[in-house]
Amino acid sequence: MLIGTSRFILNGWVQKLYIEPRFFFPFLGFEWVKPLPGNWMFLPFVLLFVSALFFMLGFFYRIASVILFLSFTYIELLDKTNYLNHYYFVSLVAFLMLFLPANRYCSLDAQLNLTPKQVLVSKWNIGILKFQLGIVYVFAGIAKLNSDWLFDANPLKIWLQAHHHLPLVGKFLQQEWVAFAFSWTGCVYDLFIVIFLFNKYTRPFAYIFVVLFHLITWYLFPIGVFPWVMIFSTLIFFSPNFHERILQFIMKEKMQPLSQKLLPTFNKKIVSSALILFVSFQILVPFRYLAYDGDLFWHEQGFRFSWRVMLMHKEGYGRFFVVDSKTKREMELPQQQFLTPIQLDQMLTQPDMILQYSQLLYKEYNGKTLVFGNEKIKLVQPEIQAEIYVTLNGRPSQLFVRKGKNLVTIKNDLKNRTWLEEFKK
Amino acid sequence: MKRIIFGLFVSALFLITACNKDKNKDEFDKAALLQNFADNIIQPRYADFKTKIDSLEILFITFQSNPTEAKFEAIKTQWKACYLSFQCVKTFDFGPAMNTGFKGAIGTFPSDTTQISSNIASGTYNLATATNADAVGLAALDFLFYQTDAYLKLTTNESYSQYCIDVIQKMKEETDAVVNAWTSFKSTFIASTGNESTSMFSMLVNDFCQDWEEAKAAKLGIPLGKYSLGIQRPEYIEARYSGYSLPILKASLSSIAEIYSGTGTNGQDGIGFDDYLISLKKESLNSTIKDNFRVIDSNFYDFNTNLENELTQNPTALENLFNAISQQVVFIKTDMTASFGILITYQDNDGD
Repeated sequence: MLIGTSRFILNGWVQKLYIEPRFFFPFLGFEWVKPLPGNWMFLPFVLLFVSALFFMLGFFYRIASVILFLSFTYIELLDKTNYLNHYYFVSLVAFLMLFLPANRYCSLDAQLNLTPKQVLVSKWNIGILKFQLGIVYVFAGIAKLNSDWLFDANPLKIWLQAHHHLPLVGKFLQQEWVAFAFSWTGCVYDLFIVIFLFNKYTRPFAYIFVVLFHLITWYLFPIGVFPWVMIFSTLIFFSPNFHERILQFIMKEKMQPLSQKLLPTFNKKIVSSALILFVSFQILVPFRYLAYDGDLFWHEQGFRFSWRVMLMHKEGYGRFFVVDSKTKREMELPQQQFLTPIQLDQMLTQPDMILQYSQLLYKEYNGKTLVFGNEKIKLVQPEIQAEIYVTLNGRPSQLFVRKGKNLVTIKNDLKNRTWLEEFKK
Repeated sequence: MKRIIFGLFVSALFLITACNKDKNKDEFDKAALLQNFADNIIQPRYADFKTKIDSLEILFITFQSNPTEAKFEAIKTQWKACYLSFQCVKTFDFGPAMNTGFKGAIGTFPSDTTQISSNIASGTYNLATATNADAVGLAALDFLFYQTDAYLKLTTNESYSQYCIDVIQKMKEETDAVVNAWTSFKSTFIASTGNESTSMFSMLVNDFCQDWEEAKAAKLGIPLGKYSLGIQRPEYIEARYSGYSLPILKASLSSIAEIYSGTGTNGQDGIGFDDYLISLKKESLNSTIKDNFRVIDSNFYDFNTNLENELTQNPTALENLFNAISQQVVFIKTDMTASFGILITYQDNDGD
């Protein structure tokens, strides 16, 4: 987290993503989450940095973990444009860590006696983290069980051939069979690696695979700190003995069982119910797409929060029009008038963002008087239309949104997106 | 146990290689494409523009010492040649051109004619400042050479004549700077073949698409009223005073078509985007793009007079042209760019 946040700030991304944009795309139900004005947006990042530092050192752990969770989640809730599955993962883990006693031994809190020392934890503490990690892998694997991925090697085929400038492997990466190998191996790895991590005999070899897999993806794709997060988080699967040996090395003392009884943390009944709730949520949410008609990659209802990582190459081109409702005269809007290039790129392929953008345009133009040369026109309740073409996983562009529909009248909700054009496979 | 894992992995690979019979896939060399572009397209086009600007300067200086109507006609002809040649270089808005703001400095339009006139009246001005950003370039000369009584003003008003040569010499300097910088930049350009948004290959493709869109919007769409509720805006026509905007538009569109095919200034077909698409098995996309270029080019035979007149006399034909240009945007900006696997952004990404 510490490295991630510093990297974020140093790359100027706070400026680019949270201060410069005029508009933001809040999540459904979270429209009340708004960015702080101007340079105040650095504050959540500073809080994040400091709390991550304290968290890491185990200093004022409880407070640090709360601030870490809140500041990180706040930042992520601001704009759908920046949604990434691994940010979701970090939020979830930060949430879980709120309830785990991670500061009871190798930490500043313990050293300074701010908290009672403890060497033993309930099984569920470790179990829930293993579960969370497992969910990410398994569902990422399940997500890969689709025809584009398995039978066309898309989108990897598109992404790998673009790397042909790499020494040694460049030419190799342009071959179609390599794309298939990567696709199938990725799928198999995701689905089964957790099983091999659980078993103590296969664990070391599985872990070598984990490291290799993440190093390769880190090198080939721009996925930031995520591979490192996964490499180190996966260590949770190793046995207590393993971790004890590491801690012994750091602490330079042998871990003594300080008390035979576990210090009471939470009521057993509450813990079980909470765990069941959390686990069911984690398992059901990625499957919600089954409740909708049509192709998930096309309409994207239920696409986020389901570990669909690096799964599709979707690009759109769109033209937005403001139409005067009285005269029916229309006006094409310049491409990047209100959104940053990144927002524009994300919005054109995600239907809920298209509707949100239409609402923004409506607010912008409703009641506005436009002057062109000697003529003046006042727009009253204008229509917002769009013509958007989308290419998915290398297919030729198809019409995504047809011109003629007033997008302002379409409600952005959880129902089927019947207003999109049909997807032709 | 480890044998089982290993076995699974190997059998997975076997399955895939066995099922896949595509052994003879053409490998595509992006560096070769960039080499062709640098050697046969970019540098020669810059050289051509430089030659034309240099001639323009000489013609004007000769004119200044001994002005005649005939010499003035020669200047105007040369200016037109410069304008057309510029259409072939403005696409390459990366590297030296980007660093020096070459495209805007030479090609900005419409001109701020008030600013130009006030500069001439005062006699003191710094053409490099932001205030004068729209008082320079080829479009400024359009106003200066073609407004009413231009010849009279040139021959009687020393300040006017001085302003013209200042504008020309500024363009000459800027051109020289870019041409010279390219001698060392060339190798950087050819080596930068990655798909990240800052690679030269990505910038080339993105500039290519952007140039096409500018032709659509700035050169045609805005005057046609597409961005103003159908109200035509003739005051935004490029090179309005000379009435030369349609040849300029045509040159811009043709330039892009030739870049697409990798055609050099010598007319020979080299490695271009068409070849890359073909190697990616996107032959039908390539055909579509090429056909569209042809159709658009043929649309120009519908026009007899200049753009301003066509706006009133023949708006439907202009609409058709506009729609054809718009349609092509989808193919080059979405389909082609996506096929190349080019990333739009440098942010962390997990797909899309």
